Amino acid sequence: MKTFFLGKLTSDAIPHVWYTIGGTIFIIIMAIAIVAYLTITKRWSWIWNEWLTSTDPKKIGTMYMIFSSVMFFRGMLDAGMVWLQQSIAADSQGYLTADHFQQIFTSHGDIMVFFVTMGFFFGLMNWIVPLQIGARDLAFPFLNSLGLWLTVSGGILINFFFIIGGDFANTGWLAIAPFSELEFNPSVGVDYLIWSLQLSGLGSLLAGINFLVTIIKKRAPGMTLMRMPLFTWNSLCAMVLIISAFPVLTATTLLLWLDRTFGMHFFTTDYAGNQMMYWNLIWMWGHPEVYILVIPAFGMFSEIVSTFSQKSTSGYISMVWAAIAITTLSYLVWLHHFFVMGAGPTVNSFFGIVTMLIAIPAGVQVFNWVLTMYRGKIHLASPMYWFIGFLIIFMIGGMAGVFMASPPADFQVHNSLFLVAHFHTMIVGVALFGIFAGITFWFPKIFGFKLSERLDKRAFWFWFVGFFVAFTPLYLLGFMGAPRRIDHYDSSTGWQPLYITSMIGYLLILSGIATQVYLIIDSIRNRKLYRDTTGDPWNGRTLEWATHSPPPFYNFAIVPPITCHEPFWDIKERKLQPEKHYKDIECFKNTGMGIYISIFAFIAGFAIVWHVIWLIIVGLIGIIACIIALSFDDEMEYILPAEEIAKIEKSYGQGELWKKQVM
Amino acid sequence: MNKKYLITGLLVVIIGIIGIAIVLANENALVVHPKGIIAKSILELIATNILLMLIIIVPTYIFLFSVVWKYCIKKEGIKYDPNHSYGKTGELLMWGLPSIIVVVMAIITWNFTHKLNPYKPLESNIKPLIVQVVALNWKWLFIYPEQGIATLNDLHIPEQTPIHFKLTADNSPMNSFWIPQLSGQIYSMTGMTTQLHLMADGPGEYTGRAVEINGEGYAGMTFPAKSISHKDFDEWINQVKKSPHHLTENDYKELAKPFINRSVIYFSEVEQDLFQKIIQKYMYPTTPVL
Repeated sequence: MKTFFLGKLTSDAIPHVWYTIGGTIFIIIMAIAIVAYLTITKRWSWIWNEWLTSTDPKKIGTMYMIFSSVMFFRGMLDAGMVWLQQSIAADSQGYLTADHFQQIFTSHGDIMVFFVTMGFFFGLMNWIVPLQIGARDLAFPFLNSLGLWLTVSGGILINFFFIIGGDFANTGWLAIAPFSELEFNPSVGVDYLIWSLQLSGLGSLLAGINFLVTIIKKRAPGMTLMRMPLFTWNSLCAMVLIISAFPVLTATTLLLWLDRTFGMHFFTTDYAGNQMMYWNLIWMWGHPEVYILVIPAFGMFSEIVSTFSQKSTSGYISMVWAAIAITTLSYLVWLHHFFVMGAGPTVNSFFGIVTMLIAIPAGVQVFNWVLTMYRGKIHLASPMYWFIGFLIIFMIGGMAGVFMASPPADFQVHNSLFLVAHFHTMIVGVALFGIFAGITFWFPKIFGFKLSERLDKRAFWFWFVGFFVAFTPLYLLGFMGAPRRIDHYDSSTGWQPLYITSMIGYLLILSGIATQVYLIIDSIRNRKLYRDTTGDPWNGRTLEWATHSPPPFYNFAIVPPITCHEPFWDIKERKLQPEKHYKDIECFKNTGMGIYISIFAFIAGFAIVWHVIWLIIVGLIGIIACIIALSFDDEMEYILPAEEIAKIEKSYGQGELWKKQVM
Repeated sequence: MNKKYLITGLLVVIIGIIGIAIVLANENALVVHPKGIIAKSILELIATNILLMLIIIVPTYIFLFSVVWKYCIKKEGIKYDPNHSYGKTGELLMWGLPSIIVVVMAIITWNFTHKLNPYKPLESNIKPLIVQVVALNWKWLFIYPEQGIATLNDLHIPEQTPIHFKLTADNSPMNSFWIPQLSGQIYSMTGMTTQLHLMADGPGEYTGRAVEINGEGYAGMTFPAKSISHKDFDEWINQVKKSPHHLTENDYKELAKPFINRSVIYFSEVEQDLFQKIIQKYMYPTTPVL
């Protein structure tokens, strides 16, 4: 009976060490502060109606970004704790126990990959992809909302161990078996990891399907596939990767959970469990996953360099094929993550050579990016700073990648800090720089005012210099034989000075983040100064600039004509004027169902972690009931009449839309 | 003004490169100071690959910086050509040049991967020494089956002799065995044997360690790998044989329990076929061998 009601919950689950107590108090204070703020300013109905239940992709995108920013602070805090420990733990245990240290880098990895990088990309895609293809909404607006809230519930679950449990996985971000099996990890930490990935993975999968269908089906008339902007193309590639790879993650972690919960033996050391299978499966998902993190950034940089060079992207067709080639090849390289497992030389060489092949399309992209600037009229705005910084870093990261693609070379750097430096080069220098560039670039479109150029450039320099100071020492430490994930070491290894240098780099990056926080606050305060009334602040080329800033919820009153892959540039060249003939538009209503389902999913996830059977039943029944209730809702859309659109368009008070821009 | 920035930037880069060179020149940079034939070949491969990549990376950097300098910073006397395109030849070059480098690297990769296959015995006139390695939580057990001895957390090998490691793990998740100055890594896994061949050039003491996360004692799972002359090695064997410790089945069971142990123990006698029994333990779960 006790197990039915409480499962594995005991009084030990209540916070009783400094970091869980601290985390719990912090979470409670934040929650109280938000509730108090909303109550005092009487904004409950506003936040519910305008934001939480919204199905407008621009608002969902903004919510993704707010959520990812919050998680980013958590991830950076983890990073700081890891760095601090490693800087001081020469010949001593430092200030963390081994187990606690391992939990911190595990949560750092999971949070940064699933909730920060992917969250930001989904946010940017929500902002921009529908606008770029001339669509008024995504294909499945409700799924979009559900995807967001499932991701958020996964994010809450990954932090929930602070409040109940006090233990997170200490296995590394992939929950590598057999280390994540009950034999070595009896606590609930791994279950928290599994179920937060299940929830957010489901959210990502739904978002992936949604964007794929949107890009395939909802393009405006005239926009053929080869007229799609490169950001949309790269997003499409990333979505194909998500759809084909994420079910593998779901299945693999589910098998691990079966092992842990029902005593099965998929990946255990004994009873014919196959630990090597886990590595194959998780990396079959994991390698496409790391490309999911960088491919959208490639697309954003293509847009940015072409816009600020006032020049068409060099080699558009090559760029499209390069993206497709990278997408395809990314399925065929997973084994390079464990060359040292003892697969034969022929197998190893195959995966090594395929990995090297990726350098070809990547090289084509680099040449084209540089060539786009060549003979351009460059406006050196802050997104260009991020872009040039990215190019410099990307080539180093790419070189390190090809370096490790050679199996014998990998035998010497596998699991060393060299590897850590390599993938941070890619995720910081490519994905994060892309995100920052993209946010600066598209911020005026979504909010109607620019970000402060001066502060953004300052933030860039902190990040750029900080990056080199933080990660060059890690490359060197790899050559010095320093493995990743160690909580202490002997001072005779000579590693400590480099760890400390690296820590200084972290502090520089932290200053960059502080600048960015100030940048947002400053830009919001001075928004009148930075206001963009034209809808086209950068002299853009693609369709997102062909509507107001911020765009009305229906995006385009009239879908512009599309004749090439840079339709808005074409409109400006030919000095076209929009028709004034509005038509009725079908719009999607707000719905709270996404939130309700996600709350029940969270309850179910939490209950499964703790084996609380009645709560699992509550969660599952709740989800099913919500879906049934949703299926009876016949009126999810409504018609926005043409007169209403005319009124809204007039309220923007900018006269004819493209006239200003064409001048 | 711009010139000042340029010079500062260049200075920073030069200082950085000098710093990197100093770090790598130090003996602590284990991977670039190999002491065995395998690690030396790997370093050669690494150097070849880096040079090949630089053939394409350096011109790209020069091109990038000159474009940034001319079109972003100086902006004097530039030609604006919004429809500039490099045509078919340019496209061909763009895909072709990296492809050539990659083809060269692919051939090298194929050859070296086969040449440096860790399972491949080394060519030598001297008979290889077999060492069985068991990764335990959190200590390394080395069994010398031909000598009938075993050591904990201490590896002695004769110089200029091929060493044939056979590795497995017990009561431990996946581990990776690494002596950077002698050779690359190989995983050790329960119920399986992996193999590694290496040879030390001369006498010396090298660091070995575990490189795959396996829990609490992970960071401390290191061992010294001492390469000594044949004479010293024989003497060392005799010394170990005088040790009062024996490794019987029951002793081993105690040893295999997870605990942190960084001390060195010598075992003068080892249970017959202990290594095979450890592997077989995971083969027949119903009738435990151990």
